[in-house]
Amino acid sequence: MSGPRTASPSLDRAELAALQPLRPADGSRWRGLVLPIAAVFLWWALSRLDLVNSALLVSPGKVAATAWDQIATGRLWRALAASLAREATGFLIGTAAGLVLGALLGLSALANRIVGPSFNTFKQISLFAWIPLISVWFGLGDVAKVVFLSLAALVPVVVNTCDGIRTAPPALLEVARVYGYTRWQTVTEVILPAALPSIFTGVYLALIYSWLATIGAEYLLVAGRGIGNTLVEGSEHFQMDLVIFGMVVIGLVGWLMNALARRLERRLSRFR
Amino acid sequence: MAAERAAAAIGVGGGLRAAPVFLADRPRLRRLADGLLPWLLPAALLALWVAGAERGWISPQVLPPPLFVYETLRDLAVSGDLWLNVSASLQRVLVGFAAGAFIGLALGSAMGLSRRFEAYVLPTFNALVQIPVLGWLPFVLLIVGIGEPLKYILIAKAAMVPVALNTLQGFRQTPVALREVGQVYGYSRRQQVLEIVLPHAVPTLFTGLRLGFTKAWLSLVVVELVASSEGLGYLIVYGRQLFQLDLVMAAVVVVGAIGYAIDRLLDALEAFAKRRQPGAAP
Amino acid sequence: MTETTTAYSNELDIRSLGKRYANTQIEGGELQVLQDIDLHVPAGRFVSIVGASGCGKSTLLRLVLGLDGQYEGRILLDGRPIEGTGPERGIVFQDHRLFPWLTVEQNIAVGLRNAPFTPAQKRELVAEHVALVGLQGFEKSWPHQISGGMAQRVAIARGLVNRPRVLLLDEPFGALDALTRSRLQNELQRIWQKERITMLLVTHDVEEAVFLGDQVVVMQPNPGRIRRIVDVDLPHPRNRSDPRFIHLRDDVLSDFLDVDADASPAALPASPAVPGRLQLAW
Repeated sequence: MSGPRTASPSLDRAELAALQPLRPADGSRWRGLVLPIAAVFLWWALSRLDLVNSALLVSPGKVAATAWDQIATGRLWRALAASLAREATGFLIGTAAGLVLGALLGLSALANRIVGPSFNTFKQISLFAWIPLISVWFGLGDVAKVVFLSLAALVPVVVNTCDGIRTAPPALLEVARVYGYTRWQTVTEVILPAALPSIFTGVYLALIYSWLATIGAEYLLVAGRGIGNTLVEGSEHFQMDLVIFGMVVIGLVGWLMNALARRLERRLSRFR
Repeated sequence: MAAERAAAAIGVGGGLRAAPVFLADRPRLRRLADGLLPWLLPAALLALWVAGAERGWISPQVLPPPLFVYETLRDLAVSGDLWLNVSASLQRVLVGFAAGAFIGLALGSAMGLSRRFEAYVLPTFNALVQIPVLGWLPFVLLIVGIGEPLKYILIAKAAMVPVALNTLQGFRQTPVALREVGQVYGYSRRQQVLEIVLPHAVPTLFTGLRLGFTKAWLSLVVVELVASSEGLGYLIVYGRQLFQLDLVMAAVVVVGAIGYAIDRLLDALEAFAKRRQPGAAP
Repeated sequence: MTETTTAYSNELDIRSLGKRYANTQIEGGELQVLQDIDLHVPAGRFVSIVGASGCGKSTLLRLVLGLDGQYEGRILLDGRPIEGTGPERGIVFQDHRLFPWLTVEQNIAVGLRNAPFTPAQKRELVAEHVALVGLQGFEKSWPHQISGGMAQRVAIARGLVNRPRVLLLDEPFGALDALTRSRLQNELQRIWQKERITMLLVTHDVEEAVFLGDQVVVMQPNPGRIRRIVDVDLPHPRNRSDPRFIHLRDDVLSDFLDVDADASPAALPASPAVPGRLQLAW
C-alpha cells in the first residue's frame, strides 16, 4: 500500500497483525509451557534458597497468597470494574465520534481537505503528552480519564473509517450507478459494506488503545480506583507481590479483549 | 485510480471538486483556494485562542496566550535548556530502540528459522506481550530503580515487540513457490535463508522496524512523564506542576515536531528500501 | 410478468458517434478514441463487436450504457436519445463485480433495487433468472464460494433480471478459462434464443464474435472506427464445426492477420484456410 503515511491504515493493519498471537508452526502445546514452568521453578528456587537478599524477591507463594487476598476481599473486582467501566465509556464515546468524523472525512472531499491535515498533525503527537493539559482542564478524576480514553479510541477509528470509505472499489460503485442507486443507497448499501473490514480494524485498534490508555491514565491521573492504581500502589509500597499480581491481571484482560475482538472479526468475515 | 488511492490518506486530494462558478474557469485560483483550505481550521482555532486569552475568557493559568508559548519556546531554545532535554530524550529513544530492535530481530529470526525454538518461546512471548509498557514499569522500577536503565529497558521492550513479530512473519511468509525453486537448484540451507528467505522478508522486517520506532517514541514520552528528571516528558510534567502551561504546550509542540520529523524520515527510508524490491509482499 | 402497453421497437441507433480525450502527450492535445461510428442494431438481434485492444470498443459500450455523457454524434434507443444510465440498458462487465457481502440471489436482486416491482414480484423474477442461468441450489452462496464461471453467470442474471431492452456485454468471458468460456458461450446463446433481448457483445475473440452474433462489427484502432460489418447468416444454435462457420470465422480473422495471397478467403475450402505469415495488419 503506497500513499502518504504517518500512522496510515496500512501500518494500522500491520500493527493489528502484530497483535494476533502467532501460533507456533509445530502445534505442540506442551513445548510452549516448558519455558514458563521452568521460569517459575527457578523463581521459586531462588526465593527459597535465600541467594538474593532483597525484599523484592518474593516467592511465588507470596504472590499467590496476595492474589487470593485481592480476589477474596473483592478488591480485584472493584478495581477491575472501575477500570473497565471507564474504558467502556471512553471506548464507546470515542468510537461513536470516530465513526461520525471518519465517515464525514471519507465521504466529503471538502471536509477532508479542511479538517484532515489538522487531524493528521494532531494524531502525530503522542497522546500521553496531552495528559498534563487534560488534567489542568478537566481535573484528575474520572472525567479527565474518560476524555483521554475517548481521544485514544477516536484516532484509529477515524483513520480507518475514512480510509475504508475512500477505498471502496470503483468497479462496484459503477454497478450502483448503472442500477440507478440514489446517493443515499450508494453510501449505505455499497460504500459502507465495502468499508466494513477497515472500519472493524479501526474499532479493534480503538479497543486496544483505550485499554492501554486506561492503564496510563490511572498512572498519571491518580485520583480514583483502578487496576493501574493497584500497580502504582504496589510500586510505591515496594510490594513486589502486588506488582506482579497486577501485571498478570492486566495481561489477562488484554488477552481476553484480543480474543473477543478476533472472534468478532471471524464472524464478520464470513463473506470474505 | 492509482492517484485516488494514493490520496486516500486523510487531508490529501482536492476539496474543491464541485467548484463554485467563479473558480471553474480559473485553474490557478482554484489551486490556490484548494491549498488554503487546510489552513482554515488551524487559523480559526488560533484566532479563537488569541481572542480568548485577550478577552480573559480563559485564565492564563488554564490556557496561556499563544505568544507566551512562543516566547517560552524561544527562551528554552536560546538558553540551551531545550537542547539539553531534547538530547536526553533522543538519546534514550535511540539507545532503547537500537537495543529493542536488535533483540527483536534476533528473537524473530530465531523463531522464524527454527520451529523448535519457536514452539518453546513463542507462547511465552505472546503472554508477555500482552502486558503493556506501563504495566512493566513498576516491576522494572522496583528492580533497577529510577535511573537511565529503566528508560532503556522499557523503550527496548516497546520496540522489540513489533520488530520480533514482524520479523517472524517475514521469515514465515516466504512463498512455497520460491522455496521450491531453491530446492530444485539444490540450495543449501544457508543459501536458502540468505538468498531466498531473507530478501523476501525485508519489506516486512522494515515495517516492523518502523512500527517499533513509533512505539519506542511513544513509550519514551510516557515513561518520561512518569519517571524522569530530564527530557521532554519531564518538561511537560514540570511545567504542569508549576502551572506553567506555556512550558507544557511548548514541550508538547516539540514532541509533536520531532515525532513528525522522525515519521517523515522513516517514510523516506522505507521508500528507498522498497524501491529496490518492487512488488514485494507488503 | 408485467407487460408494457406501448410497443417498443428496441432498436438501437448509433449515428456518427465520436469520443475524444484530452491527452497532453499527443500532438494536438487530444486523443480520438472513436470516430464516426454508425451502427444500427435491429430489435432482438445479437451484434458482436470485435477488435484488438485499443480500438475503443469498450468505450463504445460505456457510451451506450450511459456512464459517459460527453461524446459527438447521437445514440438513440427507440428513436429517442439516451440520457445517462437507465434500466432499459443492462450490462455484464468483464469482472463480475458482484458485491462480496451479498449472496447470489441478493446480488441478482441488485438489478431490481429501484425497479417498480413488489417484493413478491422481485422474488419471483430473481428465482426465474437463477433458473435461467442454471444456478439453482446456489441462491444462498457467497461470491467467494463459487467459481469464476458461476460468478459470471450471476452477473448475467443480474444484467437480465430487470428485463432490459438492450443487454451490453463487455468481454464477459475474457477472464475465464477456455473450457468455461466455451460452455458459457453456449449458455449465452441459449439464453438469447429464449429471451430474444437485443444484445451487444464486445470481445477480442473472433470465434466468439462469429459464434454468437448475427452481425459482426469489425473495428480497427487509431482512431477507433468500424472497418466493416459481416453478416452471419447461419441458423441457431451454431455449430463450431460447420464449414460455413469456419469460413466466416477465418474471413473475419483475416482482418487481423496478414494472410498469404493464395490462401484466398473468398473460396469455400474443404479444410480451413491456413494463414501464411502471421503478422498483425496494423
